[in-house]
Amino acid sequence: MNQRDLELLSSYLDGQLKPSDSARLEARLSTDPSLRAVLDDLRSARGLLRQLPLRKAPRNFTLTPKMVGKNPPLPRAYPAFRFVSALATILLFFSLGLNFLVPQMASQAPVYGMGGGGAPDVYSAQASAAATEAPAATEAPAEAPAAEMAPMPTGTLSAEDASRNAIETPVEKNGVTEEPRILSQAPAQNQPAPAEPPRPIPPTWQFVLAGVALLSALVMLWMRQASISRWRKK
Amino acid sequence: MDEQALIHDAQAGNLDAFNTLILHYQDSIYNTALRILGDEDHAADATQEAFISAFKSISAFRGGSFKAWLMRTVTNACYDELRRQKRRPTTPLEPDTDDGEEMDSPRWLADPNMTPDQKAEADELEHALQHCLNNLPVEFKLVVVMADIQGMDYREVAIAVRVPLGTIKSRLARARLRLRECLQSFEELLPTSFRLEEGSNA
Repeated sequence: MNQRDLELLSSYLDGQLKPSDSARLEARLSTDPSLRAVLDDLRSARGLLRQLPLRKAPRNFTLTPKMVGKNPPLPRAYPAFRFVSALATILLFFSLGLNFLVPQMASQAPVYGMGGGGAPDVYSAQASAAATEAPAATEAPAEAPAAEMAPMPTGTLSAEDASRNAIETPVEKNGVTEEPRILSQAPAQNQPAPAEPPRPIPPTWQFVLAGVALLSALVMLWMRQASISRWRKK
Repeated sequence: MDEQALIHDAQAGNLDAFNTLILHYQDSIYNTALRILGDEDHAADATQEAFISAFKSISAFRGGSFKAWLMRTVTNACYDELRRQKRRPTTPLEPDTDDGEEMDSPRWLADPNMTPDQKAEADELEHALQHCLNNLPVEFKLVVVMADIQGMDYREVAIAVRVPLGTIKSRLARARLRLRECLQSFEELLPTSFRLEEGSNA
């Protein structure tokens, strides 16, 4: 029995031959007893296999979320808390880093202040600070010098920015719009003011940020635990 | 059961939908694994692994016969199980008898043909068939189990086993012939209609 005939017989048994091939094989089967015997063998084997009882599954093979590594669905607010927690943590570290750098910046501040070219910047910036209080200055001129003497928070504004800010916005007073005045021409402009060192971020803010980060993390933890317990109850 | 809808839901991550499919197919998948591996515990393990793997990769199912696709996963699980058995054989090499003495000729080291005593143990046709299946090369076994026990058509078997249709035909024919030859030694267990006449075997 060659392999080709064996395949033909097996396929014939399953009705997988073309009609023409099938007819040719049937003609051979009618004259060849050994071919018929092999066909009977194949038919017998197939029949026995088909008689094998189908065993029932010993248990249900249904899957649990744990088996497939599926996470429980988290509440919709969960990402918001994650964002808040992350942001608060970043800001906390940023503020801590800034406070660490502030003393170094303060020690370098006089170097910048001693430069001759730096003086106009300081003056212009002072004028800017005064300009923000312009309406009050127009009504109470006596306060203007005090405002102009207000300390600069950083003392690093450029001259261009300061000049732009120094142009007072039009103020409507008694129905008449006053033209903006150039405050940089204030009499006090030539008085040098000492540059104040940058102030550190108050520790209150750091406590608040740490509290927000911690609280958000705790809420996230609670949400996760609640979701897992609900998931397991299903 | 709306199979397509369940498959669609399962692809969206719905585990309940997939579990409904499991309940429908678990007997077929378990029986396939059982006939390939020849051991109930290993078959149960392979079936469970196959369903886990199927759920994780169900997004890769692109239509066609879902049964054939599941059969492919159980085929892979059976190959994994066979490899595991090869690496860590669970059968002791020097087994003891009930009296605590070492056996002279352990049957797993003996010729695959059963001795008369062992033949007596295989007193059911099912055991005889399983014995003959176990003696087949695994690639033949896969094809004959799917085609003749599970009743799958050639194309489905080709998808499940991932070999060309011509190879399926060839393997199936040879597997059937080998099984028939093996079953001749269990002639007395066979139903009368399946008994061979003397000298009919080619």
